[in-house]
Amino acid sequence: MPISRLDPRTKILILIFIGILVITLDSVTSLLCCFLVGIGLIILSFPTWLQYRLLFLFILFSTWGLIYSQAIFYNASPRTVLFTLVGRDIPIIGTMTGGVHVYREGLLHGAIQSLRFNTTLTIGCFIVWSTQPRDLLLAFVKLRVPYSLAFMVTTSLRYIPLIATESRNVILSQRLRGFRYFQSNPRRVIRDLLNSLRPILINNIRRATHLGETVESRAFSPEMVGKQRTSLRTLNMQPQDKVLLAAGIFAVLGVITLKALYFCYANGIYYAHWMRGVYTFVREIL
Amino acid sequence: MSQIEIRDVSFTYPSRSEPSLKRVKAEVKCGEFILLTGPTGCGKSTLLRTLNGLIPQASGGLLSGDVTIDDSNLSDHPLASICQSVGLLFQNPGDQFFCTVVEDEIAFGLENLGVPSFRIDSRIDAALAQVELPPEFRIRSISTLSGGEKQRVALACLCAMRPRVLLLDEPTSHLDPKSRRDILNILGQLNREDGMTVVIGTHRVTEIAPLCDRVWLMNCGELALDLPVNQAFSDLDPYRDLGVEVPDLAEVSEQWGLSERPITVDQAEKLFLQSNRLSSTSPSSSEVSEYIGHEHSHQGAQSVLASIEDMTFQYPRAASSALRRISCEISEGEIIAVMGANGAGKTTLLLSILGLLRPTIGKILIKGVNGTRLKLHNLAGQIGIVFQDPDLLLQASTVLDEVAYGPGNLKLSHREIHERTTEVLTALDLDSLRNEAPFSLSRGQRQRTATAAAYSLLPDVLLLDEPTAGQDFSHLQQLMTALCASVEEQNKTLIFCTHDAQLTLQYAKRILLLRKGELIFDGQPMDAFSNPELLEDASLVAPLRTQLSWRLANN
Repeated sequence: MPISRLDPRTKILILIFIGILVITLDSVTSLLCCFLVGIGLIILSFPTWLQYRLLFLFILFSTWGLIYSQAIFYNASPRTVLFTLVGRDIPIIGTMTGGVHVYREGLLHGAIQSLRFNTTLTIGCFIVWSTQPRDLLLAFVKLRVPYSLAFMVTTSLRYIPLIATESRNVILSQRLRGFRYFQSNPRRVIRDLLNSLRPILINNIRRATHLGETVESRAFSPEMVGKQRTSLRTLNMQPQDKVLLAAGIFAVLGVITLKALYFCYANGIYYAHWMRGVYTFVREIL
Repeated sequence: MSQIEIRDVSFTYPSRSEPSLKRVKAEVKCGEFILLTGPTGCGKSTLLRTLNGLIPQASGGLLSGDVTIDDSNLSDHPLASICQSVGLLFQNPGDQFFCTVVEDEIAFGLENLGVPSFRIDSRIDAALAQVELPPEFRIRSISTLSGGEKQRVALACLCAMRPRVLLLDEPTSHLDPKSRRDILNILGQLNREDGMTVVIGTHRVTEIAPLCDRVWLMNCGELALDLPVNQAFSDLDPYRDLGVEVPDLAEVSEQWGLSERPITVDQAEKLFLQSNRLSSTSPSSSEVSEYIGHEHSHQGAQSVLASIEDMTFQYPRAASSALRRISCEISEGEIIAVMGANGAGKTTLLLSILGLLRPTIGKILIKGVNGTRLKLHNLAGQIGIVFQDPDLLLQASTVLDEVAYGPGNLKLSHREIHERTTEVLTALDLDSLRNEAPFSLSRGQRQRTATAAAYSLLPDVLLLDEPTAGQDFSHLQQLMTALCASVEEQNKTLIFCTHDAQLTLQYAKRILLLRKGELIFDGQPMDAFSNPELLEDASLVAPLRTQLSWRLANN
């Protein structure tokens, strides 16, 4: 069975499990494993090249931003200077900041943070790209998300391509009226770019008002939803969904238990000699 | 017995001081078909929203008077319950869907009403049958539907809820002629066979009049006229005074000095044959031309601005080509209409002329240079475009700033910018609105502002994508008349995509007819509209006066 046919509830719960894991884990190795699971899910859902490109750009920019900023602004101790960008004897910036350095621990911390962020991002993309919005809506409702909220989220997904096209046309119209990204007056560039948000924003407000009217004209009412709303389709969990969920629960509970045992050992609360291997595993891998 | 009663209804929107409806009184009998028309902003949409309870229940505002449906006052019922008696279909098919699959969309209202799942299934099938769509449409993705199919699905969504009254707000304005004809046929059937009462708000009087029983003409929130259809057009002046379209054939009969005002080709043919105004034999070609009107002389050789050479274009992941082996040249001083059904490739052709789409095969030369190699900002002053949604072009705080933005980017002197802005504002009748915020204007005024903003760069070629969508008759005439006059005077080129045959006959000197990406005709509009087979091939419908001329010629 293609992985995209998994029950959407399973996909959402996998995201939640991995979300818990990436918070609990704090070594580059284990977080890299979680990230690779996310990449594997993406590959198995056969996205388009455009989606691959989009994901690659997201990952590239977030990794660069997080690692770079953490490497420079890391202020915990100990910290080891790898190299110096601005020496402390350089006038103004150097004397004011005491020097701008790249720290080894900062790089590592940035890598961990970016792996956490990119893992959840990747699995989020997997869910959105491999699930019909209608199935996502049903899954949210089954997971007891308020219907109005679930409906709002899934409807907004449908309008993302339209908003992207409109944004492209706004920029296109501006460029055909002589707007240049690169010109001698950056204030003008910023002003024009901000102005280009105006039609996009106003169109979206109009569309939202219009959609609201349409929804109400089709008997939608937040008060009635919980009481009598029926559904044309229902979701049924297949055996493979149950296996995946069981594996997910096992992984989350396992990691939390191991971490708790290590916490007890590290804080002198409980120590068992026969668990030395476990302590080493948690310290080195998890 | 009256099914809908509107008693002294006045309504003021929350943010306004002036009422949008003023003491409206009317009655609709069960099974009647009402044509509701009037200029933009006259209150048509407000009245329709009042009839299904959206006003004031969803909008807020101050409503006085009563609206009753089947003797039941709407103010006594929540919106969710009114939906079961009254369905409202909106103008833009793309903006009224929230699901991705047809069956989910149709089921949405039924699910909200708490209809059991096993009944929803059968009601979806029945609703699809009512709008003449096959059951296979249930699992079609909404994004793959054409404009006409979307509007049918939207209608099916309402039919599934089995309303007794159907309200429609400009349901055909975004559709091509064939889809419009299909939708109107379905509405006629729902009215005649299923007994649904229909109230349709529209600018397209010629098209809807043959279906309707009564005509309501609105002006400034008041019901200026409420007459049975056979009396409604005996005097056309009230419509003309308000800038509302008058039925084409009624106008022809008035021009010919006949007393009756036909609204269908059958009526007109009978009337003309009975009258002595035409010879008993076939009318001469000049008489037929006079009916059709607006024959344009073809201009002599002009320098070529754009040349499309054997171009094929296919969108990524599309099953077939959007444009196939198109070859044509566009010269200075031309006014060209691009026509064809929805999805025929009209907008793709415009975007190709802009150099935005790289041809899969063939090439486009703009002034001898490969179009895809030109930088967009370098095209400023050479090519301008106004999209179907004019709002995408508006970004300044005032109309004046909007129009001056382009010339400012061209680094013209202040004096030149001022002169050019004033000239364009005057030409498009926007001078009085120069200090208004563009988004506070009416749809027609926004369209003119967007066109003025693109035209102020005095581009060699101006492209308009569907300038007719959502425009009323007088605004459209005003825009096109001013623009064409200015384009001719400056020896510029205007290319517009449209479904409106009358607009093409009136303004275009040349027509490009597209069918499924192929250019099937390139010539004078008169030649195209004299060829019924060609029009059928391009899914176009000739104006009624043209159809009449064919009939008379055959007699």
